[in-house]
Amino acid sequence: MRNVLERILNLLAFLLTANRAVSAEEIRHTVAGYDRENDQAFQRMFSRDKDMLRRLGIPLETTTAGGLEIEYGYKIDPDSYRLPETDLSDQERAALWFAAQVVRIGGQPTGADAILKLGGSQLESGLEPFAADLGSEVDVLADLYTACAEHRYTTFLYNGTARRVAPHGLGHRRGHWYLVGVTDRGTRVFRVDRIEHLDVEQRDGFERDLDVDVRRELDTQPWEAGTEEPVIARVRFLPEIAWWAERRLGREPVERIQGDDGSLEVAIEVTNRSAFIGWVLGFADQAEVTGPPELRAAVVDHIRGVA
Amino acid sequence: MSDRTASRLTRILAMLPWVIDNPGADVDEVCERFGYTRKELIRDLDLVFVCGLPGYGPGDLMVAYVEEDQVIVDTADYFAKAPRLTAAEGLALLASGMTVMATGQGTDVLASAIDKLGRALVPEGYEILTVDVSAEHDLGGRLRDAAAEGRVVEIVYTTLSRGDTTTRLIEPWSVFTSLGNWYVSGYCRRSEGERVFRLDRIKQIRETDERFTPPETPPEPEVRYTPSEEDVTALIELSPQAFWVSDYYPVEIVSDTPELRTVRFSAYDAGVAAQLLVRLGAAARLVEGDEVRAATEDLRSRLLQRYGG
Repeated sequence: MRNVLERILNLLAFLLTANRAVSAEEIRHTVAGYDRENDQAFQRMFSRDKDMLRRLGIPLETTTAGGLEIEYGYKIDPDSYRLPETDLSDQERAALWFAAQVVRIGGQPTGADAILKLGGSQLESGLEPFAADLGSEVDVLADLYTACAEHRYTTFLYNGTARRVAPHGLGHRRGHWYLVGVTDRGTRVFRVDRIEHLDVEQRDGFERDLDVDVRRELDTQPWEAGTEEPVIARVRFLPEIAWWAERRLGREPVERIQGDDGSLEVAIEVTNRSAFIGWVLGFADQAEVTGPPELRAAVVDHIRGVA
Repeated sequence: MSDRTASRLTRILAMLPWVIDNPGADVDEVCERFGYTRKELIRDLDLVFVCGLPGYGPGDLMVAYVEEDQVIVDTADYFAKAPRLTAAEGLALLASGMTVMATGQGTDVLASAIDKLGRALVPEGYEILTVDVSAEHDLGGRLRDAAAEGRVVEIVYTTLSRGDTTTRLIEPWSVFTSLGNWYVSGYCRRSEGERVFRLDRIKQIRETDERFTPPETPPEPEVRYTPSEEDVTALIELSPQAFWVSDYYPVEIVSDTPELRTVRFSAYDAGVAAQLLVRLGAAARLVEGDEVRAATEDLRSRLLQRYGG
C-alpha cells in the first residue's frame, strides 16, 4: 500500500506542476514508482492510479491525438483541482459535520471525507437520538446534481419510455428524490428511483429556463398534480381526525369552516380527480366528499370498485 | 484495499493544506481535526517526506516531519489547497444540512454554513437542490428532548385504520425519518413492548416528571416492517396504476409482469390492508386473505353508509 500511495502522490504532484498534457510514456519514465515495470504491468498500474485520482474527485483530463480515439495525454488543471474558497468557520464545519452524521443517503452515513477536505473538524462521532434516511442511490443523485449545475442534457428511460430532459433541479419530498426537468412537452417531475440508464450528454449544454421554480413544482399536492379542468371540491373531516387532515392539507384551502363539534370542512381546487379521491379515502370513513355531486358520485363508484 | 487507499490519500491531501496554512500547528490539534492518532499522522508525514517532483533529490521532495510537537510541512506548494469535493460529496453534505434545517433542529450557524458551501459549489445558485422532510416540528423537537433526558411522555395517538384514539405512556428512544414519514421509537407501556409511532398521527404529547433508564444500546431505528406470526396477510393483485404500492408499503412481490404485480401484504391489523384496497378501487384485487376481505367489506359498507348509499 505504501508504494501505491507514494506513486499516486508523485503522479499527482507531477501533473499539477506540468502545466501541459503529458503522455503515458513520459509519465512512465519520469514519475517515480513506474519505471521498473514491464509494458503490461505499467498499463494496469497506471489505469488503476487514474481511476483512483478520479474517485477522489480530481479532474484528470485526457487529450486525444489527431482526432483518434486513443488517449494521448493527461492533464490536471490546478484551478479545477482546488477546492473553491468557502470561508467556513470551525463552528460552521462542525455544524455540517453534525448534519452529515445524522442524515443518511442510501443507508450510508456520508460526509467524513468532504469535511476533511473542507479543513477537518473534531471527528468523533457520538450516538445521536435522531436520524434521517433520504434513501436513493447517491451516485445517480450526484450525476443528476452535476447535470443540473452544469446545464447538461440528460437522457434516460422512465417507465419504459426514453426521455431527453434539461434538468433544472433535484428535491427530496415525502421520502423520495425527484428531478424537475424541462422536456419538449413542458416541465415535468420524475422520481429519481425510477430513472434507468441515465446518461449525461457531454456536448453543448442548455439555457436554463428561469421561470422553472423547483420548489413550486415539487410542493404540488397530489390533487393539484394534473391538467384536468379545475373543480372546487368540498370535503368534511370528522372531529376525530380533523387535526390530522389540517396538517396534511399543506396550504390554506379556498375556504374552511370549523364545525362546533370539532369537525372541519374545506373547499380545495382539484385538477387530478383520481388522486384526490385516493387521498380522501386514505382517511377511511372519517372524511366525506360533500360536493359537487358528480365528484361525490365518482367517490361512490370508486368505493364500489367500479371505477 | 482501494477504499483504504482512497481514505488515506484524501486525508493526506486535506491535512497538508491545513498545516501549510497554519505553520507550527500543534500535533494534537492536527490529530483531532483530521481524526488521526499520533502514530498514524507520523506515518503519513513519513510517506509525504519521500514524495515530490521528478529528480526526487533533496530539493525536489516535500518536507514533512514533527519537531517539538509541531507539524512542519514545506516545499509542497502544489498541495497547498485541498482537492475539490466530488459531486456526491457536495450533494450529500448540502442535502444533510438542508434536512436538519427542515426538521427545525438547525441553527443559524448551520444555515450560514449551507449558504457558504452552496455558493462555493454552485456559484450561480444552489436552489437547484431542495430538501423538505416535513417534520412535525414541534412534536419532533419535544420528543427528541424527552429522549435525551430520559423522560416518560404521554401521547395521544390515532390509529387511522381503526379510527380509534388511545392515550399511552411511552419511553421515547429516538426520533427519525424514513420513507417520507417521521417516527418515534421507544417502549410503550400500554402495549408492554417496543413500538414505533408515526409522528403525524400523534395528536398531543405531554411530558411527565417520571424518568426512565434508556436501554444501553437502543435498537437501530427501523420501520421496515418485519412480519410476525400474529400478522394478518393478504395476497393482492395490482394493476400498473397501483404499482406504487410496492414502493410505499413493505410488501413482498410474489410475481411481476408489466401488466400485473402480485404482492403479499402483512400487517398487524387487517384494517391497514382494507383501507389500502378501498383506496385503490378497481386498480387492485384481493386474491387471498379472509380477515382482510371481511375488514374491506366492513369498511366499504361503512363508507357507503356515510355516502347515503
